[in-house]
Amino acid sequence: MKKSLKLKILSGFLLLVALLFVAGTESIIEFNKLSNSFTELIEDNYKTIEASRTMLEALEREDSGILLIMLGKTAKGQSIILSADSSFMAAFRTAKNNITESGEDIRIVRIEESYHTFKQKWQERFFLKSSAYDDIEFYSNDVHRTFLEVKHAVNELMSLNQNSMHSEAVILKDKSHRAIMPGIVAIVGALVFSLLLSFFISKYYISPINQIIQAIKTFHPRDKVLRTTIKSEDDLKQLEVEVNNLIDRLNKNNYPQK
Amino acid sequence: MTGLTRTTTLKNRPMRTEVVIKFTGYVLLFNALFLLIAFFISLFHGETSTIPLLFSGLICIIFGAFPFIFVEDQDNVSFSEGLAIVVGGWVITCIIGMLPYIMWGGEFSLVNAWFESVSGFTTTGSSILNNIEALPKGLLFWRSATHWIGGIGIVMFVLLILPQSTSSRLTLLNAEMSELSKLNFRYKARKIIHVLIIVYVGLTAVQTLTLWALGMSLFDAINHSFATIATGGFSTKNSSVAFFKSPSIEIVIMIFMVLSGMHFGLLYGTITGRAENIFKSSVAKSFIVILLLGILLVSAKLYFSGYYNIWDSLRFGSFQVISLGTTTGFATADSNPWPAFTHIILIYFTIQCAMVGSTSGGLKFDRVYLFFRSLRKQLKLIQHPRAVVVVKINNRVISEQLEALTMVFVVLYIFTFFVTTLVLTSLDVDLYTAFSASIATIGNVGPGFGDVSSLANFSTLPSTGKFVLTLNMLLGRLEIFNIIALLMVRKGNF
Repeated sequence: MKKSLKLKILSGFLLLVALLFVAGTESIIEFNKLSNSFTELIEDNYKTIEASRTMLEALEREDSGILLIMLGKTAKGQSIILSADSSFMAAFRTAKNNITESGEDIRIVRIEESYHTFKQKWQERFFLKSSAYDDIEFYSNDVHRTFLEVKHAVNELMSLNQNSMHSEAVILKDKSHRAIMPGIVAIVGALVFSLLLSFFISKYYISPINQIIQAIKTFHPRDKVLRTTIKSEDDLKQLEVEVNNLIDRLNKNNYPQK
Repeated sequence: MTGLTRTTTLKNRPMRTEVVIKFTGYVLLFNALFLLIAFFISLFHGETSTIPLLFSGLICIIFGAFPFIFVEDQDNVSFSEGLAIVVGGWVITCIIGMLPYIMWGGEFSLVNAWFESVSGFTTTGSSILNNIEALPKGLLFWRSATHWIGGIGIVMFVLLILPQSTSSRLTLLNAEMSELSKLNFRYKARKIIHVLIIVYVGLTAVQTLTLWALGMSLFDAINHSFATIATGGFSTKNSSVAFFKSPSIEIVIMIFMVLSGMHFGLLYGTITGRAENIFKSSVAKSFIVILLLGILLVSAKLYFSGYYNIWDSLRFGSFQVISLGTTTGFATADSNPWPAFTHIILIYFTIQCAMVGSTSGGLKFDRVYLFFRSLRKQLKLIQHPRAVVVVKINNRVISEQLEALTMVFVVLYIFTFFVTTLVLTSLDVDLYTAFSASIATIGNVGPGFGDVSSLANFSTLPSTGKFVLTLNMLLGRLEIFNIIALLMVRKGNF
């Protein structure tokens, strides 16, 4: 089948464009996935880790408030406890509304239950009753024990999300690798492709054109045809044929020869 | 044009790069077919390797189809062009083969991906992977497919579909197959290609169905059959065939390893009842006898040294001898702690390799056989200098040129793995690991001893060492002479 020069070069470039298009699209898809994964990572794990930190901090403040009450600074202690309780509950709601990992729901229930017990203890003792604030036995056996239980439950929730975040980070690393690689491969591929294309253009276009120029330069009026070795079935072969036809017509019309 | 004139013209004609590129394009298109199958497997399972496999397949198609736009159909491929097509085809295939690995990531660095690809196509079966089972199924299939594509010779499949003349086909066949392997083929080029493909595909299909019937999943059965028939050794499991803990599966794999290590022309002759068959071939019979002797010695040593009971000694000993003796490289036990005596025997089998005309690489048993027959001839000539002594194999006289070529091959082979051992030791790899890794890779066997034993991998070797070993694999697969001949052609000495 005869293929024109235009079609051949166009096909070569179309393949190059296809290669770059596929690589570009693939990179965009992978980067999009990467971006989504990053957002999910922030949404899923980091939010809960932050909430857990806030809960731990609030717990420590509540513990300090209890100690202040036991030391006789009731008003200040109560104010700290109420403020910390409010922070704790806000953070807890954030964590409760962001259950994304398996086993996270169990830990949330554990926090809820243990905090409820802890809160009941200090509410009954330091807000509803007005005596025996300095009962250290009660603090160490009852309040502090439940405080540690809540702290442990919150720590469990935090480490679950930290571990998951670490695993996600490894997956993200792979995803970023997969997003970058098509681009790198496409660049190297396009370079090799360009070299091949220039080889073929040189072999099939430049060289035949040079042959025709050389043949025209060395053409002798006695010759009947141009002496070239063009084998391809394209426009250049057509050019050679047409030049030979021209020579033939000139010879037939008995143009003056030198 | 007479045959002589045409031959002279072909010899004098400079190498046509565009022809080499076009034929390499066929090879790439064939690879694309398997990459797309792997892509569909990955797509079906929704794996992370889907895009890397698709992109690699598209690159293969683009680069494979591109030369067809420019290069017209060419005929009369010269021998130098044939060599360039075969060597170029192998190298380009190995480069394309690493793309899915490197794009997927995981344990695959640039060197690791190259190593895994070359090891796959050359059917060596050495791996750098610590956790094979972490790979997606699509990538596992591609890994096994590289064995299957490379097993019979990359160009062989292309020759089957090639719409070129008989002379082109014959030239390419000559470039892909050694002189010795053609001894048992008394057919024309096209028939040889058909015989090879029929036996290859037939063995693969039968083994797949048998393994499937024995309880292996279809996916594992296909992958293990690809690796067995190509004498490759890549498994889909970290503990190789040992994972299945099934004596019946091991027996089937052993049978097919032996069959794949035999000359395919002889196998075809045996099945079709021709004169050239396994039972009449002195080389094939000797190969079997030596394998049996190896099994006996290794099993006996394992039993008498108290490693296993008699049944397990025979089970593990025979599997390991056959696996290394046919250059497959599967494992059912860790041979590293076995006695030194068994190591020596297994190293012998790693050097000897299987028969020519099979899918195995390396030195080949026929050359060892011919080497000893030539040695006997030389000893006779020393005793009777004027005697006319010829070397015969299967009642056929072997030419002195082929004898000399075989001798040079053996020397070059030994020299090459000596040099590789030297390079590896210069990189602070211990002597035992360096030596066994060198012979295991040049012989396309796979596992060695030391740090690269049967149930270990090559991941701990330095990157330069891994790269050197891939050169070894290619040299072993292309039978060294093809590369040397190509270099001579390029220098105009051929």
